[in-house]
Amino acid sequence: MVKIKLRMTVNHKIVETEIEPYARLLDVLRDKFGFTGVKEGCGIGECGACTIIMNGKKVNSCLILAAQAQGSEILTIEGVENPDGSMHPVQEAFLEKGAVQCGFCTPGMVISSYQLLSENPDPSDNEIKEAISGNLCRCTGYKQIINAVHMAADNMKKQGRYK
Amino acid sequence: MIRFDYKKPDSLDDCLELLDLYQEKARLFAGGTDLLVEFRADDKKLSNVELVIDISKLPELSFIESDEDSISIGAGTTFSEILNNPVLLKFAPFFTEACRTVGSPQIRNTGTIGGSIGTASPASDPGPPLVAMDSLLTLASPNGKRDVLLCDFMEGAYRTIIKPDELIVSVKFRKLNPDAGFSFVKLGRRKALAIARMNVAAYVETAVDGTVKDVRIVPGSCMPITMRIEEAEKMLLGEKPNYELHAAIGKKVSEKMVEASGRRWSTPYKEPVIATLVKRALNQAAGVE
Amino acid sequence: MPLMGKKNYRHLNKRLNRVDAADKITGRAVYAADISFPGMLYSGCLRSKYAHAEIVKIDTAKAKAIKGVHAVLIADDIPKPQSWADYPFLCNGRVKYVGETVAIVAAETETLVEDALKAIDVKYRELEGVFTIEDALEENAVQVREKGVGLKNGVPDKEKNGNIFFDSYYALRKGDIEKGFAEADFILEREYETSFVEHSYIEREACVVVKDQAAGLVTAYASAQNPFFTRRYLADAIQAPINKCRIVQKTLGGSFGGKEELVGLIVGRAALLAVATDRAVKMVMTREESFLESAKRHPFKFKYKAGLKKNGKITAWEGSQVANSGAYNNQTQYLACRAAIHSAGVYNIPHIKTDTYGVFTNNIHSGAMRGYSSPQIIFAQEQFINEIAKEFGFDEIELRKQNILQQGDLTATGQKLTEETITLEMIDHMVKRTEYFRKKKEYAGTHGSEEKRKGIALVTCYRGCGYGAETPDAGAALVTAIEDGTVLINSGLAENGQGLKTAYTQIAAEGIGCTPEVINFVGVDTHSIPDSGMTVASRGTVMGAQSMRKAAIELGDMLRETAAQQLDVKPEDIDIENNEYYAVGSKPLKKISLADVCNTRLWTGKSMAAFNWSEPGDLGIDHHTSQGDAFPTYSYGVVVAEVEVDMETGFVDVFRVTSGHDVGTCVNPDTVEGQIYGGIAMGQGFGVTEEVPVKKGQLSSLNFDSYIFPTSIDVPEMEAVIFECEDSAGTYGAKSLGEPATEAVGAAIAAAVADATGKPVRELPCNLERTLLGRSLGRERK
Repeated sequence: MVKIKLRMTVNHKIVETEIEPYARLLDVLRDKFGFTGVKEGCGIGECGACTIIMNGKKVNSCLILAAQAQGSEILTIEGVENPDGSMHPVQEAFLEKGAVQCGFCTPGMVISSYQLLSENPDPSDNEIKEAISGNLCRCTGYKQIINAVHMAADNMKKQGRYK
Repeated sequence: MIRFDYKKPDSLDDCLELLDLYQEKARLFAGGTDLLVEFRADDKKLSNVELVIDISKLPELSFIESDEDSISIGAGTTFSEILNNPVLLKFAPFFTEACRTVGSPQIRNTGTIGGSIGTASPASDPGPPLVAMDSLLTLASPNGKRDVLLCDFMEGAYRTIIKPDELIVSVKFRKLNPDAGFSFVKLGRRKALAIARMNVAAYVETAVDGTVKDVRIVPGSCMPITMRIEEAEKMLLGEKPNYELHAAIGKKVSEKMVEASGRRWSTPYKEPVIATLVKRALNQAAGVE
Repeated sequence: MPLMGKKNYRHLNKRLNRVDAADKITGRAVYAADISFPGMLYSGCLRSKYAHAEIVKIDTAKAKAIKGVHAVLIADDIPKPQSWADYPFLCNGRVKYVGETVAIVAAETETLVEDALKAIDVKYRELEGVFTIEDALEENAVQVREKGVGLKNGVPDKEKNGNIFFDSYYALRKGDIEKGFAEADFILEREYETSFVEHSYIEREACVVVKDQAAGLVTAYASAQNPFFTRRYLADAIQAPINKCRIVQKTLGGSFGGKEELVGLIVGRAALLAVATDRAVKMVMTREESFLESAKRHPFKFKYKAGLKKNGKITAWEGSQVANSGAYNNQTQYLACRAAIHSAGVYNIPHIKTDTYGVFTNNIHSGAMRGYSSPQIIFAQEQFINEIAKEFGFDEIELRKQNILQQGDLTATGQKLTEETITLEMIDHMVKRTEYFRKKKEYAGTHGSEEKRKGIALVTCYRGCGYGAETPDAGAALVTAIEDGTVLINSGLAENGQGLKTAYTQIAAEGIGCTPEVINFVGVDTHSIPDSGMTVASRGTVMGAQSMRKAAIELGDMLRETAAQQLDVKPEDIDIENNEYYAVGSKPLKKISLADVCNTRLWTGKSMAAFNWSEPGDLGIDHHTSQGDAFPTYSYGVVVAEVEVDMETGFVDVFRVTSGHDVGTCVNPDTVEGQIYGGIAMGQGFGVTEEVPVKKGQLSSLNFDSYIFPTSIDVPEMEAVIFECEDSAGTYGAKSLGEPATEAVGAAIAAAVADATGKPVRELPCNLERTLLGRSLGRERK
């Protein structure tokens, strides 16, 4: 097997490493770069715990070959917070609305919500449910998460930011 | 987990060269949403695979083009790209709807129509509408191109006639009448992230006098090979759409299913339910209550 | 109406942000699989593909020879293959279920682990197996376990061989059952059953075990729901003294009872590999392995027979409740105790005779899952009550109101309910709030439809809080103030995701008088606090927090004493607000900060720590009659579900659930609501879609593509209704909620489906096939 020199941008920083051709992006992010906020729940693209944003689209990193990410721009949960380390409005809303219990689905939920609000600043209930329909949660029943996304949308409008 | 080498050709020709070289030892990787799951499961079918060829960014495979008569979709087009396309929404809304129900938003962002066709799952959602439109596949190999009807391409559950050195380039279908009735009905165990228990794609076009002049009925997860049920379609031709007739047509599809697959453990459920789904698909397409 | 919020607390009844949420939201929270150590090895398990087979030969030579593979162990290689609980670390001789572990390996990479597992050669001789409850109870059935017994005159008897797990047999005898039936005007008998269900926590089981040579200590960082039980497994596996074994619980990604046995076993296995290789070892289950080897919810078969008078009073209740325990089991005996105690529902019945027990089969072991038998038995009992109502012309609500337990009544175990109950008020409130009767009438209008029909149903239930008579509900807490006015609290009970850390922070703040913000909760480290039992049975707040409350109050008293001294007043004249002590009524206001008080105590050599061990009062039931005081108090629930059934496809759309719970005192409305909403989703899965399909011991669903539970689009509209009452048993009057939040939902949904279709639901889940055809297809009976 020929190893591959991988170079990509993760959370606004360029990173480089050598990988096996069959390596999953999920494992490279977690094991090589320490982004353990990206979780594995099922390994088959069902639960969405591994959701990241790749080149502007949300994807299940357990089904992306690391080699495919050559030259890509990746955002993981670790990159969502503001540059000064304070929480993004989506994250603050999750905190305020009690939207977190065991927390394992939370990174994926935050990424999906973040992505939704960047494309649709004023989503309806149904649009929020659709956006997180690929993120399974076993603890919360989703309701407080949906409330949090509404709150984040309101706050982001007030703050005049659409990202 | 099966281990493999990885190459990313820059062009379709380079890809074909690799296929020529590796034949059944290579697999094409577009979205990876089926392939990686199979690799993970150590699927025996893949035990001699040495190389994965990444075609996810090949420009020759990523397009949605239409002319006067037909629409052509590159095999590497993702479900998300399909959902966002207004031409497809206008001329093949049941196909758009089917693609909307595939997997999850994340899966739709990477999963491709070519990958779906190549996997040939009996429970495929895009399959029935594509078959309903008598879609034509263009396959390419180092030896040239060939066109195959989609319903001839499939051999059975997860089996197609594709050769080891071939890849699907595009799927093409004639435009149907955008003012006619289209429907896609899917039954799953839950409302999202659901594999179809059964699904149905239907198209009903009526003439000025209200009688049906073109009808397509394709049930999914039902027949050994996904196909139009012509005997059922004939029942509606020349007739005015109505509830009772649609119910009878549903029963006919159900009969054909049992004829083709025999009585299996799932038949007591599938038999009445496919009839219902066909009836509902026709009602929806024809605007009947 | 006793809805929440009429009590007067500083820090309880308050929506405090969860203290552990920020880390989880930013991706900083560390779960067991996130940890690595230098030189750490990866590990894996080789599993049996057979449900019942003799291991004829295992050859590990080829695996050991692979470069980079550091250890390959089978039963012969380890000091004690059989763990202290019934489950083996490694199978020694005869595999008894598909997935049982026969060998383990440690290697430098995950791919080498795969290679090593493939290189182990095992020869099996397949044996006949027994898989369903019916088959297990047959005369001359294959005997799965030597210790299994048979039935004699319908009850388990040690003198016969068979498959019954004798220790799990609980008989409940109240009053005189013959008399009860003799008094009855109407009698009805029915049977019900439920399936194997999977916890499906999103985090899979994981651990990293590290040996510290110098300290002679082995530490496991694990996704452990019950760190002290896990420690027992660790010490047992490597035969080390327990004080040299340590479990550090990492952030837990959900458990619901599932991360018990399997986590103990993987910690034991990883420890054996760590000892064999002298390296840190990581063991993480794939989702498929979690399906194969983690405990399942017990499938049950129920037979109930009840007698009632013309006026609706139930006089007699008889039943058998039989569970499928799987091949190995160390839970059914405790679960059956609870199931027996609750075997006649939340009703006041004078004459009761029930028998509860588990049977061994060649399946994965059944274990604890949120409810611990209650979702299954409440489903069966509430359908039965409705069938009784329908059969004899009673109104379902009136029948419940007429028979429901109230303060002063005797439960099924003869325990007098001394605490306040608000059962009737709850029913009336929920009926009104959900517009139950109006909707019942409206939905009845759809019952002639061939296509879609709507249904509504109300169910009632109760639950003994905490361990009760099962096991002493005792536990420890340690509260320490520090010189800068911050506080550390340490508990033997664990955060599973349910909000324990936050609840305990609020309870400690309430006891000390400081604000929650200055408190930091130390996660469970078995080296730092005594064994406080398991974090189960919804005991965390009701009972487990008693020690936290008492220690906090003790610390509060210490600090107030110093504040009083410093301000030259009596301690009774001291109060605290925003971390500042002040002398009440003093002008100008005499005050001193909490930090200054703590600093003073430190430098004057005064204690700033309080430790409390809290034990419950006297509880106990007779093992032969199950009579006695079973629980310190009970939580009550009333749940209303509304569904629409597609009569042509069998699809059940649950569109609204209103879930009412008497929690005694609501510590934190956000976390209580979160539990109720999550409980509704889990109950929906239990009622409608969740079953692990098993045929002759082979699971045909091993991941979330085929094991179906609700997505965001599937869950109903939810409303949580929180009731409070005056209860003296629990911490600040709090009662259990974690399990009550889910245990009646499946029952309510099933009852609503029955209302919609006009046909009783006797088997769960109400999936497409059962709802359309009235039976499941192609699967064996359980």
